[in-house]
Amino acid sequence: MRHLCKRFIYAAGVSGMSFALLTACGEPPDDPTEENNNEAEAESNADGNQSNDTNEVASDWEPENDVDYIAPADAGGGWDTLIRTTAQVIDEEDLAPVNFAPQNIPGSGGAIGWAEVAGHAGEPQPLFAASPPIILVPLTETSQYDHTDFTPVANLITDYSIVLVQPDSEFESVVDVFEAIEEDPQSVSVGGGSAAGSMDHISMAGAAAEFGVNAADVNYVPFSGGGEAMTNLLGGHVDVVITGVGESTGQVESGELRPIAYSSEEPIEVLADAGAETFIEQGIDYTFDIWRGIMGPPDMPQEAVQYYENMYADMMETSTWEGQVENLGWINNYQNSEEFSEFLDEQFELFEDVLTEIGLVE
Amino acid sequence: MDAFENLLYGFEIALQPEALLFVLIGVVAGTVIGMLPGLGPISALALMIPITYGMDPAIGIILMAGVYYGAIFGGSTSSILLNAPGVAGTVATSFDGYPLAKQGKAGKALAIAAYSSFIGGTVSIVGLMFIAPLLGRVAVSFGPSEYFALMVFGLTAVVSLSEKSLIKGLIAAVFGVMVSLMGMDLQTGTARYTFGNINLLDGIDFLIVALGVFALGEVFVLLKKRSGAAKQNSLGSLKLTKQEVREIAPPIGRSSILGFFTGVLPGAGATIGSFLGYTMEKNIAKDGNTFGKGNIKGVAAPEAANNAASGGSFVPLLTLGVPGSGTTAVLLGALLVMGITPGPLMLEDRPDVFWGVIASMYIGNIFLLILNLPLIPLISKILNVPRAMLLSLIIVFCMIGVYGLSFNPFDLMLVLIFGLIGFAMRMYNFPAAPLILAMILGAIMEENMRRALQISSGDWMIFVDKPISLTLLIMAALSLLIPLVIRVIKFINRKKA
Repeated sequence: MRHLCKRFIYAAGVSGMSFALLTACGEPPDDPTEENNNEAEAESNADGNQSNDTNEVASDWEPENDVDYIAPADAGGGWDTLIRTTAQVIDEEDLAPVNFAPQNIPGSGGAIGWAEVAGHAGEPQPLFAASPPIILVPLTETSQYDHTDFTPVANLITDYSIVLVQPDSEFESVVDVFEAIEEDPQSVSVGGGSAAGSMDHISMAGAAAEFGVNAADVNYVPFSGGGEAMTNLLGGHVDVVITGVGESTGQVESGELRPIAYSSEEPIEVLADAGAETFIEQGIDYTFDIWRGIMGPPDMPQEAVQYYENMYADMMETSTWEGQVENLGWINNYQNSEEFSEFLDEQFELFEDVLTEIGLVE
Repeated sequence: MDAFENLLYGFEIALQPEALLFVLIGVVAGTVIGMLPGLGPISALALMIPITYGMDPAIGIILMAGVYYGAIFGGSTSSILLNAPGVAGTVATSFDGYPLAKQGKAGKALAIAAYSSFIGGTVSIVGLMFIAPLLGRVAVSFGPSEYFALMVFGLTAVVSLSEKSLIKGLIAAVFGVMVSLMGMDLQTGTARYTFGNINLLDGIDFLIVALGVFALGEVFVLLKKRSGAAKQNSLGSLKLTKQEVREIAPPIGRSSILGFFTGVLPGAGATIGSFLGYTMEKNIAKDGNTFGKGNIKGVAAPEAANNAASGGSFVPLLTLGVPGSGTTAVLLGALLVMGITPGPLMLEDRPDVFWGVIASMYIGNIFLLILNLPLIPLISKILNVPRAMLLSLIIVFCMIGVYGLSFNPFDLMLVLIFGLIGFAMRMYNFPAAPLILAMILGAIMEENMRRALQISSGDWMIFVDKPISLTLLIMAALSLLIPLVIRVIKFINRKKA
């Protein structure tokens, strides 16, 4: 409790100080646009950007309006959970002087939400939740915007792929699965929680390719959600399921389903206890991250990016965040804007390769 | 015996003042949200997540469950009074509920809906309590091929929903299937029937079609008939005669059980449950031909079924940790945020949550009945609203509801288009029910057919090799053939005579 209070005072102090700074040095450009609507504010920020570029340390920027905080999907999904959880932690820990207002803009696997954000080029907001689909959806040509159109703010958390079988399955390891596919591709059906060519499919096909099996030979059966895929594995309708570690916690802990492989670099204790090994431990040099981070509109002002990447770094130090991470089974994976941006480009290459091999991209 | 001890333990939790308060808040909020056309339980639950944060998980889930079954309970009101389904699960209720209201028997229809909802809800809680752990196992035996067969069976109802012309019914059904296929294909990522429009990539939400074809279509028809202006609908009596009670009791019983089992199947849920209940009763009833014209059994069956199904949908969530529908997916998310992982271990780890929520459902259902019955005369005042205002109000509510689905103005145009389609269908005597039924079942049928074929590497035998899917397909064939056989026999007899 005392710990919390101290944190609060610290946060309040910092924001108070920066507020003082802002009012002290920020007067001239703000004056003519006192009524500030978003556009006007963005312009003044863009101006500020140019004059500040030389200093590099521009820590005096702060959001003035409530932040539109977008999950480009329906309520209840991964993006939505990330947006609502971070908004709550930011509010409770008083990390920003304004509110983060969660919004759902569902549709077209995210493309409708992205189109909305893309319309705010040069502005410091809206911010939105992003994960591999921002690379995958454009690759399959259903969004006119791709990850390079947006400004990476910070990568926050990650989950990993997990390969599950029934407890009495003949497959002891993922190597067994790939060998069976090598022998007769039709004999093994692999269920996953997302569409063909999306995360789960890519993750399994990528591992298969690394092992030496033709990625197109993975008989992938798409279900609408990891839960549905696991139900079908429980009922014996598919032989193997690939989904996110987080989604499978209940089934793995109860022993209903047996994990045989997962895609992290380092072993995870709970899964090791359940008898599973990473792909790397099984001799397949392969990792797959189901990362989730925050991105902003195209050409977001540099000091806004800095402000938010620092804010998220602070957020991840709080005990409120720690508690949520534990409840939701997330794994912290902070990357600042620059690291995140490089990471996204690497991901793009990986996905493009795998999709080409499966035959979904030419 | 064990179940009773556990239930007592559950009541200990659910009878705490705090829990009682939140059950009450939940069911009231749910009823109101349910009554407003279009605003469904999913958006309501998503809004509840921040409210439940920091609450004791048992209380939080009690509140959210209350919102969910409260919405299904309240959804029948606008179906009956306005022909505008409040939630997707109550579309079937409007088939006979609205004609009853037009005949001046709105009070009776609402009362039947309330009683049936109560009984359906209660039956499902009993089922949830005694056989939930066993049912989890049964539910997983439904794989893609079984779902395909179930949907085929469901689609045969098109025949009985077609009223006068089977051909027109089939045309409506084919149109419904086509609409359901719009959007991105899960298997290949190909966009179908989207005309290059990004807004259509996710397909068209079922409620947009239902509100357009039913509510707006009706509004347009009423606008055309200027003459009807003077006629004012009355509420009529709330009381049921002994004869009526005897008439609706068996359908309520049957539909409650059918609805519960439909709800247990992941992916089926309240909407499909209510349709199956309605068609089953229509097929069984001797006066089946009066269904759709204001038969009280046509209100009782879907209402019992959809409430039972909403209870049943908790089975896969609580026992397997797998959400069976969009609504329970949001509930799962909320539970995770509260630090609870639903699944086989939950019964042991957090019995307070499991039994607390079950006990609270008993209490919630009683609250709903007590609240809803006296409110009927009040709510029905809506019928006394001058026609010009009422029609405008329906349009406004439909628009708000549709906009609330995804906050996309494009959907508003869609609902108007479907309103015009509904109007044209009514003008040329095309039945609307087969369109709606085919739209719900079509997409699930297609998706599962292709999944099954993907698993079997293209071998069609997968549909007859599995006993459950074979049984369902035979039932589907019989339900198509039996009426034909009966007709042939009648024809031969007549010739003899």
